[in-house]
Amino acid sequence: MNRLRAFGRIVLAILRELADENAYRRHLAAHGRAHSRREWQRFSEERLRAKFVRPRCC
Amino acid sequence: MKKGLGVILWAAVSVVAAFSLAGIALNRGESINSIWLVLAAACTFLLGFRFYAKFISLRVMKLDDNRATPAERLRNGHDFEPTNKWILFGHHFAAIAGPGPLVGPVLAAQFGYLPGTLWIIIGAVLAGAVQDFVILFASMRRNGKSLGEMAREEVGKIGGVTALVTVLLIMVIILAVIALVVVNALKGSPWGAFTVAATMPIAIFMGLYLRFWRPGKVLETSVIGFGLVVAAIFGGQAVSHSPALAPLFTLSGVALALAVIVYGFFASALPVWLLLAPRDYLSTFVKLGVVLMLGVGILFIRPDLQMPAFTRFTDGTGPVFAGKIFPFCFITIACGAVSGFHSLISSGTTPKMIGKEWHAWPIGYGSMLLEGFVAIMATIAACVLQPGVYFAVNSPAGIVGGTPDAAVATISSWGFPVSVADMQGLATDVGEATLFHRTGGAPSLALGMAHIFASSGGGRAILAFWYHFAIMFEALFILTLIDAGTRVGRFMLQDALGHVWKPLGRTSWMPGVIATSAAVVCAWGYFLYQGVRDPLGGINSLWPLFGISNQLLATVALCVATTIIIKMHGARYAWITVTPLCWLVVVTFTAGLQKIFSPLPRLGFLARARELTSALESGQVAAGKVAETQTLIFNERLDAVVCGIFLVLVAAIVLDSLRVWVGVLRGTREARVTETPFVMSKLRPEEI
Repeated sequence: MNRLRAFGRIVLAILRELADENAYRRHLAAHGRAHSRREWQRFSEERLRAKFVRPRCC
Repeated sequence: MKKGLGVILWAAVSVVAAFSLAGIALNRGESINSIWLVLAAACTFLLGFRFYAKFISLRVMKLDDNRATPAERLRNGHDFEPTNKWILFGHHFAAIAGPGPLVGPVLAAQFGYLPGTLWIIIGAVLAGAVQDFVILFASMRRNGKSLGEMAREEVGKIGGVTALVTVLLIMVIILAVIALVVVNALKGSPWGAFTVAATMPIAIFMGLYLRFWRPGKVLETSVIGFGLVVAAIFGGQAVSHSPALAPLFTLSGVALALAVIVYGFFASALPVWLLLAPRDYLSTFVKLGVVLMLGVGILFIRPDLQMPAFTRFTDGTGPVFAGKIFPFCFITIACGAVSGFHSLISSGTTPKMIGKEWHAWPIGYGSMLLEGFVAIMATIAACVLQPGVYFAVNSPAGIVGGTPDAAVATISSWGFPVSVADMQGLATDVGEATLFHRTGGAPSLALGMAHIFASSGGGRAILAFWYHFAIMFEALFILTLIDAGTRVGRFMLQDALGHVWKPLGRTSWMPGVIATSAAVVCAWGYFLYQGVRDPLGGINSLWPLFGISNQLLATVALCVATTIIIKMHGARYAWITVTPLCWLVVVTFTAGLQKIFSPLPRLGFLARARELTSALESGQVAAGKVAETQTLIFNERLDAVVCGIFLVLVAAIVLDSLRVWVGVLRGTREARVTETPFVMSKLRPEEI
């Protein structure tokens, strides 16, 4: 049961990583800022700008 | 005791791998259960991962968890961040898994189930995963440098320039070919066209929701988006039955191609958060979910393969694409066995997030094996179809005849019986007017997936839903690749043109953005339009070009990898990357030369141009078709030139690398390894 829970936690963490939610948390922690709409927009713009200049795999 | 159990376990895995491989390779004349393909791949991949990859890790790379990775040394909370290995595994896999490992194996199924399966299994273990792993390792030891930077530093300027030009060319070809796959899947299909069109306003709604209403809630937004997309599939069914709406969404190939081109232009120029990003999030989750569902479905129903081990088309006369099994099987299946594009991901985000060096083993090598497994599942999905149905769907009208009667007569004469009634029944079951001439691989993959999903529960009653769900899934992430790829191409072009005229390099200067977006869209749009108008289906010309360009990029990556290994160990372990490199060079050159110079008009670009020219000169072309024929002749010559450029690039990078290797081995050139110096890691395992 514990292993199943740990597996579930990993799956959720992977989804959060893919969703950039983990990266957003790291961003808030690194800059010591609180979550707000403006902060998300700032993070998102910077993140997406970096993300969509790299070639995507086929 | 534990060691003894390990030996017994791995011996058992080896025996199962050997029996499964022998079973699928030696079976003739009887249908075979798909579970044998799954077992053969799973056990071989496990052995490759446990023994071959570990050997490379220990002897060649000398991975060391005491050595601080760039993620630890340069940690900044953005790009450089030590990440849990399983999270990074999922992230890396999602980044490398595109439409290639799904579409390529479906097209290669025209040779039978065996050639593609063996190439995927052997290629993934000895070539693809090795390339991904070594490049990931090399980038990780060089502060996350890109493939282009490593090529320039390790091989020389030619290597760097080749990598850049290759990436630009491959982007143009890949965007054209995957757009063609979508166009061919949606033409004449109001249900599919409506569903895919609906994903655009849904993505825009998601973008607004995420930016203004629920900032940061990407998972929540994606769940809502997924619900809306499923609703759009049902909406598409209603549209297809509506006498007023159905004609609006029943589009020809040319109309769809123009729509995709216009879409590509706007999507690449619009703000990323509005359309591209929400669509990208959604397509990533749907992609992973569908791959998982397909795997579970195959294990659950264990379908029999209807396709024989080999078909008569190993001789090069196949209707899906022309060319013999060697080299075209190995060009058609690039992603899934070895894909040069992966080297860009392995030298992109991933090396900057690895917390401990040994994590590169499952992430670099293991992720590629999982992609190989996806390719095996795609092979199974294509081969569970009756061969007659497979060929009726995948053969262009120019080969089998334009009418259903002509097509079934031609296909049945090849020994793959199929009737018009069979095809009509199947089309009705999936809610389509017809399934003839749906080239490109996506519809037959969707049929196979729908068959597997429906057999897991629901039966024929929900076959139509699953077919359109699969089409939506393929189109969703192909369109994401198109808009993201166009944007990336635009940035690369702006970067290059900025050296000529500075304003063009500024991403905030609107005229420059519009001009470069238009240039990139026109480049791939031209090849797409050419593919749509091609009487031979377009895939016959464009997919081999894509395969050759992708393998060219793999050649660049393996040249860089070999150079690094030779600088580290001399010639001792060079065989690890030289073996797949030699294979790829032989395959790429043979395929490229055949595509240019083969005297067979269906295979050789120049031969077809000559055939069309001679038809034009002898007056066999109707007056109304003269301009179209002249365009076809130009296109064939253009394809020959593009193919020739690829071959010149392969020769340049290989010769330049050889010069470096010989110099290092003879001692006339310094074997300088450009790794960052050793720094002791202070990162505790529990921190990641």
